[in-house]
Amino acid sequence: MAGIRLENINKKFGKTEVLHQVNLEIGDGEFVVLVGPSGCGKSTLLRLVAGLEDITAGNIFIGDALMNRIEPQHRNIAMVFQNYALYPHKNVRENIIFGLKRAHAPKDVIESRLSKVVNILGLEDFLARKPAQLSGGQRQRVAMGRALVRDAKVFLFDEPLSNLDAKLRNQMRSEIRRIHREYQTTSVYVTHDQVEAMTLGERVVVIRDGYIEQQGTPMEIYLHPDNIFVATFIGAPSMNILDARLFDGYVELEGCKLVMENGTPGQHRELPKTGLPVKLGIRPDFFIDRRHAGDGEALAVIHNARIDLIEPLGFDKELDVQIGSQLMKVRLDLRTQATEGDTIDLCVDMRRTHLFDIDTGQRLQ
Amino acid sequence: MDLSIAQRESRLGWRFIAPSVGVIGLLIIYPILYNIYLSFFDVKLTGDKLFIGLANYQRLLSDAAFYGAAITTVLYLVGTVVGSTIIGLMVALLMNMTFPFRNLVRTLILLPYFAPVISVVFGWQFIFDPVNGIYNHLVVDVLKISSSRHSLIGNPNSALGVVILFDIWKHFPLSYMLIISKLQSINKDQYEAAAMDGCGPIGRFVHVTLPELYFVLGTLMLLRMIWNLNKFEDVFLLAPNVETLPIFTYYAAFTGIIDQGFAASISVVQFGVLALLIYFYVKKVLKW
Ligand SMILES: Nc1ncnc2c1ncn2[C@@H]1O[C@H](COP(=O)(O)OP(=O)(O)OP(=O)(O)O)[C@@H](O)[C@H]1O
Ligand SMILES: [Mg+2]
Repeated sequence: MAGIRLENINKKFGKTEVLHQVNLEIGDGEFVVLVGPSGCGKSTLLRLVAGLEDITAGNIFIGDALMNRIEPQHRNIAMVFQNYALYPHKNVRENIIFGLKRAHAPKDVIESRLSKVVNILGLEDFLARKPAQLSGGQRQRVAMGRALVRDAKVFLFDEPLSNLDAKLRNQMRSEIRRIHREYQTTSVYVTHDQVEAMTLGERVVVIRDGYIEQQGTPMEIYLHPDNIFVATFIGAPSMNILDARLFDGYVELEGCKLVMENGTPGQHRELPKTGLPVKLGIRPDFFIDRRHAGDGEALAVIHNARIDLIEPLGFDKELDVQIGSQLMKVRLDLRTQATEGDTIDLCVDMRRTHLFDIDTGQRLQ
Repeated sequence: MDLSIAQRESRLGWRFIAPSVGVIGLLIIYPILYNIYLSFFDVKLTGDKLFIGLANYQRLLSDAAFYGAAITTVLYLVGTVVGSTIIGLMVALLMNMTFPFRNLVRTLILLPYFAPVISVVFGWQFIFDPVNGIYNHLVVDVLKISSSRHSLIGNPNSALGVVILFDIWKHFPLSYMLIISKLQSINKDQYEAAAMDGCGPIGRFVHVTLPELYFVLGTLMLLRMIWNLNKFEDVFLLAPNVETLPIFTYYAAFTGIIDQGFAASISVVQFGVLALLIYFYVKKVLKW
């Protein structure tokens, strides 16, 4: 096992630069999740670590060894490919154990590891089949098995659960966590899925257009996003970003005066607080129906929000509401009786809101 | 009558192909059957036929020259089929890499396959000419490997080697073309997965390239086997002293004491062996 260190990584395909000055240090045994929109360079970053692409500039270390010129077969890395890349001529069993056989693992080790992985992934019935005889989700599980079975220094996962149904995905997520707890293999995991990022990652790295936007524990990223991109990318439904004005001690939103309690981000800024235009970020989950707000809490109130649409989700209701000319998503619990077309007063704890610079999108501290 | 769409379609299909099936049947089945028929007769030059049962076969199977021709044929087949496939494979692997002028080189490689047999045969005979040939000039005068000049084509033993070489040279482009078109369709990510599983270039060739090429190679070898078992002009024009079965048959049928019945029995035996060979090959190798 070993950590990974990326120093000033640059990657160009021809003239287009897809990764810019990426610096990332992944500790020995750490589980790091890379998230970002499609095409931002997540797979490319994984492939650089794997050695499947040459880096244009910078250094990659695994452990203390410089990897820039080391062939992929000598890096001892196991990888789950985004498009599976199974061997079409080998059956499931041979696909999974191929790497172990190449590494001359003893027969009993191969068998015990195989049966464990097959058990976890529920592949017992498919061992003799060829990849062409499997569904997409089954293939993905085989691809997963092929990596997990290996005794590698590093695991790389490129969206390994994207083709599974919700139930299986939850199950697999827990299994990946369990496996990681047991083997403590350094892992880099690429996903689009918020929930996967939040639940699996010991650290989450948010990438946009080949730049690292922010990294930190899932809760750090969720509670203290550095900029509007991260704020809206992490968390579902996405954070509301509203036009507001910052005054001394309060934020004005569509005529509502939202008083900032102690601990509100942006409260102590030494700025002319005479109506500085800002972006106010509020997560849909942090609204409370005024009728159900507790007494003791110091909450700011948004008056007369008009309900356009209500989507019941079971325990929660998701509302599209309009305040002034702006739209927001609000998630309230099922006690809320309001119906479409009603107006409602919404409370919000200002300590859980965010202020962003209107030009740069950076967080105001 | 109520026919399903599929049934109607298959009826229509039969109506379309019936004429060609008829013509092909006549052209292929008739000569074969007639050949089998002839092999039971002693055919006189006058055209009279005398039924002699299995006498032609008895004569053939006790003829040492037949076994000689059979051995020569096997050597010729193994040499040419394996040789042209391996050379074709190596060239295809080479041409699948990127290098300057690749497209030009790729085209030039096909030349031997295009060239008319009769003209290239003269070229080859000239190369191995004992007096003026390039081969003897190189071996004797330049490299000084041997002190005396040899007629490689004149000597039936070495002529077999030359004939095999000639066939490999002329037909490897076909193998090359089929192989490279398959090579180019192999998914790159399979190689990447193999690399992650610890395979170097050789491991990747064995575990990714070869399995992908299996059926192309198998089909190629089958085709070449069939063609070369019946190959006449390439052998006969270059070195008439190399007696593979078709040439042995030709001598029996059209030279000396012309004996069509005997020649027919040779073809029947050859045809039977070929049919058996193809049957097992298709079953075991191509797994149809
Ligand atoms: N071989 C290549 N040649 C040229 N451009 C490439 C190549 N591979 C990737 N790119 C480009 O690099 C960028 C990053 O691609 P990458 O596959 O890393 O995205 P990603 O973050 O994994 O996206 P997704 O989530 O859709 O898988 C994309 O704009 C893509 O078009
Ligand atoms: Mg990707």
